[in-house]
Amino acid sequence: MSASTHSPVLKHHFGDLNQQHASERLGMWMFLATEVLFFGGLFGAYACYRLWYAAEFEFASSFMNVKFASINTVFLVTSSLTMTLAIRCAKIGDKAGLYRNLLLTFALGSAFMVLKGFEYAEDFHEGILPGASSFGVTDLKHNIKTDAEHAGLDTGKVRLFLCFYYIMTGIHGVHIIIGLGCILWLVQQTYANQIPPENYSTVEVVSLYWHLVDAIWLFLMPMLYLAGAHIPHAH
Amino acid sequence: MSSDPNQTPATPPGHNDVLGHVDSPPTLIMVWVAVLALFGLTVALSSSGMFGKYTLFVQLAIGTVQAGLVAYHFMHLRHGDRVVVLTALASIFWMGILFVLFMSDYMSRSRVMG
Amino acid sequence: MTTAVTSVMPKIAPPPPEPAPAEPNYLNINYSLWSWLTTVDHKRIGILYLVSITVFFLAGGIAAGIVRLNLLAPDGAIVSEDAYNRAFTAHGVLMLFFFLIPAVPAVLGNFLIPMMIGAKDLAFPKLNLASWYVFLVGAMFGVWAILAGGIDTGWTLYPPYSSRSSTSNVVPGVFGVFISGFSSIMTGLNIMVTVHKMRAPGMTWGRLPLFVWSLYATSLIQLLGTPVIAITTVLLMVERVAGIGIFDPLIGGDPVLFQHLFWFYSHPAVYIMILPGMGVVSEVLTCFSRKNIFGYHAVAWSSMGIAVVGFMLWAHHMFVAGISFYSALLFSFLSMLVAVPSAIKVFNWTGTLYKGSITFQAPMLFALGFVVLFVIGGLTGLFLATLGTDIHLHDTYFVVAHFHFVMVGGMVLGYMAGLHFWWPKMTGRMYSDWWSRVAAAIIIVGFFLTFVPQFVMGYHGMPRRYPNYPQEFHVYNVMSTAGASILGLGYLLPVFYLTLSLFFGKKATGNPWSATGLEWQSPSPPPLFNFDEAHMPVVVCGPYEYALGIDQMGRGLPEGPGLGSANDPSDKHGESAAPGPMNKETHVVG
Repeated sequence: MSASTHSPVLKHHFGDLNQQHASERLGMWMFLATEVLFFGGLFGAYACYRLWYAAEFEFASSFMNVKFASINTVFLVTSSLTMTLAIRCAKIGDKAGLYRNLLLTFALGSAFMVLKGFEYAEDFHEGILPGASSFGVTDLKHNIKTDAEHAGLDTGKVRLFLCFYYIMTGIHGVHIIIGLGCILWLVQQTYANQIPPENYSTVEVVSLYWHLVDAIWLFLMPMLYLAGAHIPHAH
Repeated sequence: MSSDPNQTPATPPGHNDVLGHVDSPPTLIMVWVAVLALFGLTVALSSSGMFGKYTLFVQLAIGTVQAGLVAYHFMHLRHGDRVVVLTALASIFWMGILFVLFMSDYMSRSRVMG
Repeated sequence: MTTAVTSVMPKIAPPPPEPAPAEPNYLNINYSLWSWLTTVDHKRIGILYLVSITVFFLAGGIAAGIVRLNLLAPDGAIVSEDAYNRAFTAHGVLMLFFFLIPAVPAVLGNFLIPMMIGAKDLAFPKLNLASWYVFLVGAMFGVWAILAGGIDTGWTLYPPYSSRSSTSNVVPGVFGVFISGFSSIMTGLNIMVTVHKMRAPGMTWGRLPLFVWSLYATSLIQLLGTPVIAITTVLLMVERVAGIGIFDPLIGGDPVLFQHLFWFYSHPAVYIMILPGMGVVSEVLTCFSRKNIFGYHAVAWSSMGIAVVGFMLWAHHMFVAGISFYSALLFSFLSMLVAVPSAIKVFNWTGTLYKGSITFQAPMLFALGFVVLFVIGGLTGLFLATLGTDIHLHDTYFVVAHFHFVMVGGMVLGYMAGLHFWWPKMTGRMYSDWWSRVAAAIIIVGFFLTFVPQFVMGYHGMPRRYPNYPQEFHVYNVMSTAGASILGLGYLLPVFYLTLSLFFGKKATGNPWSATGLEWQSPSPPPLFNFDEAHMPVVVCGPYEYALGIDQMGRGLPEGPGLGSANDPSDKHGESAAPGPMNKETHVVG
């Protein structure tokens, strides 16, 4: 146990490294439980309205850009893979591999955000907006509105879906940006030689967060983009 | 509890005392392929509209499997302490409380006592 | 099993010698302000929290004073109706989010959890300091909202009024609540990880002091409930600021959904407030009746039971808000269910007191007050959980009186009991015994006079939050305001005698109450890392072996002169008792 009790990365209030690693991991998992409930509140609200206003929600969802979102899914799932490989590199002391995987993860996450930006721009351009009064938009764009009315749907509830779309993807995007910041911090720590193999748990803790953000996207995808994928008219 | 700090856990062969388990890249890549394949499946099923009003449940079931794969392999739940697994399950359980009791209201709101 | 021990007395090691004075401790190791602001020591952070929440308690108290004074006259005695709305909102927001929620977990929990389980610090010391700063940032937003003119929505912030109509400072106030929630999560997370991973050798789950169990349950609620209020406040702010509103009835949104999300946190939040108080009471009652807790496992698991069941009954706040009738039936049933673990606790406390060698120092008076007031508060809660009576009592002063019995009568007295119990440990000084007992008596008397009339007027139909009332309620309101003045005086007394004790108080010994927990086995005030680093504690027995007269490390308890022989909790008859079991009780402890 001497390697484990006399390491420079061991903090004074822990008895040994195993205790330190286990505490850090558990701490992050508990934070993730918090995140699950944070999104859980949002998902619960979505579920109530989806139940009440199924037709409007599916109609509104059919205006979402499935192509962009699918590419983004591939980006995120792949970034999860590279993040997990980064832990492995940290454990076996492969510093070059650690750099490579962290930077790859960062690049994939950034690509996700860039594509998301293009998607927002397109939505804005096409007038797929919930009618936020403070942005000078008070109602749906004319063609969507007439489409909805033609289908016998309540345009208010179409706008309600779009509220969910912006709030959910927005909050998810904020999480991605925080995750990107953490990954950059890991790169800096690697550069400063602060991540020897016995300190691998630092990488693992960030990776847990990153995977959760990825997993949440896996649920946002069907809720927001695929709900109306069977409706042929748009895109 | 396994968390008792003064207990030395029995170390299985191939298990480093401090580093724990080291992932094998082929397994990780297989998980990655599986998650993406499931994603393709859910897109195909949704576009076909073959499940009608049950599409959402099929989608969410597939999403749960995907998230489960990520949690089990990428997030190392398979090597997690008991309390880590318990934490993960607790978060699901509490979200379940929220969903079930929300639904208890929203699914029966419009029914009136006869 | 103790009965068997009685006949064959175990050989008990002599009491540990008192540590030499003026050893470096966490207080005298560095006096600079900078060392306090950058400290990662859980004890100092506990003190920082103590100072901050005391400020908010006084501020919330002033707001309560405005409310009560205004109700002296049927048409409002001192402020306008609009100002009255802002005053009761300020009272609610300050007291709940910036006093009650952090009170015991962040002050006593921070200070005591590592000491009670024999650890050098919490698992994440820097996160702990961060939680205090985050709390301050959140509090500053709250203070900004109030100083800029206040919020007039009530602390419950229901839309569409809060999101569309109110012209008051809803956004900064809500943002303050959002931010301070992070601080609550950080504290809870830290405590949970610490309890899981940092217990001393031999400190099994079955040997944890009940204070630790109750704070563990509290932390669980903080961890799983707070994120839901966070998302709720975000949704409210987005709706108010950007007009992107999912609670907006104009586009098919359901304002009742806000109430669901809000109470999903805010009902369990009342258990965040009361559970720590229950933990304190379990410690104090055992110590001052010199008995083991009756039914340790029942008390410990009832904390967990409250934490879990407490999440399943929020909609009893919404019986008349238009929720589904069937759902209301379910929530009514589940609300009754939480009475079971609460009652288990009360019965076990009474069982603990039975035939104990009880002494009435201030902590004990506060703890006994807690039990009595909590019973009243809890039982009146059943009236409100019943669908029929709730329609009559909803949003009346009956509700106000009910939750003040639990929050003030329960939680604040529990906090006071804990503060008085551990004050010698935290500061190394004893406070005035006489004044503290007087303060306890004044607080309990003032409390009854304030809130019992509110039950009566609520039952007769006076709605809460109204600035005006018919003449028939005048006498009750005058009684209530008179009681509130006495209560206010009672709260001011500790500010004085506790502050004076810091300068003039007798030096406290390591274990002035002759208590059994690990926190008493290090000097008062404790050294920087809580224990002598060469001899970290090893636990050999359960937390309340008063009958055997041994602490958790298996050593004999000191005689505990404390405030002198007459006040010695281990000595009821004024004779100095030998350390060890009291003859009287050993044959009743089962």
